[in-house]
Amino acid sequence: MARSTDEGTAVDDRQLVAGVLAGDPAAERRLYDANVDRVYRLAYRLTGDPDLAQEFTQESFIRAFDRLETFRGDAKLSTWLNAVATSVIFNGLRKVKRFRQREVDLDLATSRASNRAEAEPDLKERLHGAIDDLPKGYRAVFLMHDVEGYTHEEIGTSLGIRPGTSKAQLSRARAKLRQSLAAFAGGMTE
Amino acid sequence: MMDDHTDEQLDEWIREAAHSYHNPLPAPRNEMWHAIQAARRTPDVRPIRRPIRWLAWSVGVAAVLALGVSIGLIIASDRPVPVLVAAADNPSPTTPQRVSTALAVVTTEHLTQAETFLTLFRNAVRTGEVSSYAGGTARHLLATNRLITDSPASADPVLKELLQDLELVLAQIAQLSEDSWEGETDLITDGIEQRAVLTRLQTVVPAGTLRGALSL
Repeated sequence: MARSTDEGTAVDDRQLVAGVLAGDPAAERRLYDANVDRVYRLAYRLTGDPDLAQEFTQESFIRAFDRLETFRGDAKLSTWLNAVATSVIFNGLRKVKRFRQREVDLDLATSRASNRAEAEPDLKERLHGAIDDLPKGYRAVFLMHDVEGYTHEEIGTSLGIRPGTSKAQLSRARAKLRQSLAAFAGGMTE
Repeated sequence: MMDDHTDEQLDEWIREAAHSYHNPLPAPRNEMWHAIQAARRTPDVRPIRRPIRWLAWSVGVAAVLALGVSIGLIIASDRPVPVLVAAADNPSPTTPQRVSTALAVVTTEHLTQAETFLTLFRNAVRTGEVSSYAGGTARHLLATNRLITDSPASADPVLKELLQDLELVLAQIAQLSEDSWEGETDLITDGIEQRAVLTRLQTVVPAGTLRGALSL
């Protein structure tokens, strides 16, 4: 995963953006190559679906290229792209959810959650279910920070929240996951 | 209850194990790149969310409403008319009874526009098509809402309360930025539901009311 953090990043970003805005196809491709894996990984983590991850990644870059003139260099280009991508992903997921789960049976969902301990003895399976059950914002912060390695500043910029909020949400997400795994924790840590 | 040491152990295990959650396949770079290029060459078929059409005209209507309220305020002091909506078959008990016809029409039109706006906003949130234009429309409606709140039209306490709740919702939408859509839009629609803003708007302005009022 390409993640530039050196001081030359800002200059590189500006040069790259200037090239794209000037219509340089090579600059477009460089921008894409430098960021596509990161965007795709995030889309995949949040959707769990290769087709959706691909669709949202494409949409993210289409939108980013269209709006590149609004990039002011306040944040790194990769962070700005993440903000575009998370907006695309969350809006896209909401639309997909509308089609796939228009009539969610809450009772069934509750029953599924409460019975998971018996039905899915594997701890990793249970963890995956617990991650699925996290509130949307907590899940995003947890996956971005603990799994994909984003900083709270990057998450804050991407999700439009303050870094402190990101930290608080991560803490609550971890607590919820611990709680969900509590039945297994004793056996695991003994 | 687990102690801190156990929590840390468990957190560490969770972090490790979570990497297998939705573990990404390699990105199909070239396939996506070609799709992006194709979409950018043919803008008509690319899956960009388009601004909602109603937003454009609602901005214009809101501006006209602001002018109408001003006119209504001038007329209101001279011609008290005990009707908000003369054409309503069953005027709601929440309608103010001592405002001019002009102000009544403007108030009714504003509430109708607000109802339409919030209905479309709520639907846009559901379909993930909220655009930045919503904020602009909300700001225009907010300006009109404040004018009406300060006018004799809000003498009715129930209508005044509705206008105040409407102001809160419109202010939230007006402050939306693209970066904060996620989460915020859900909070706004939750607020609309909890305060029953749409239901109250529909009660105050029954269907077809505006057309009848304007035909006076």
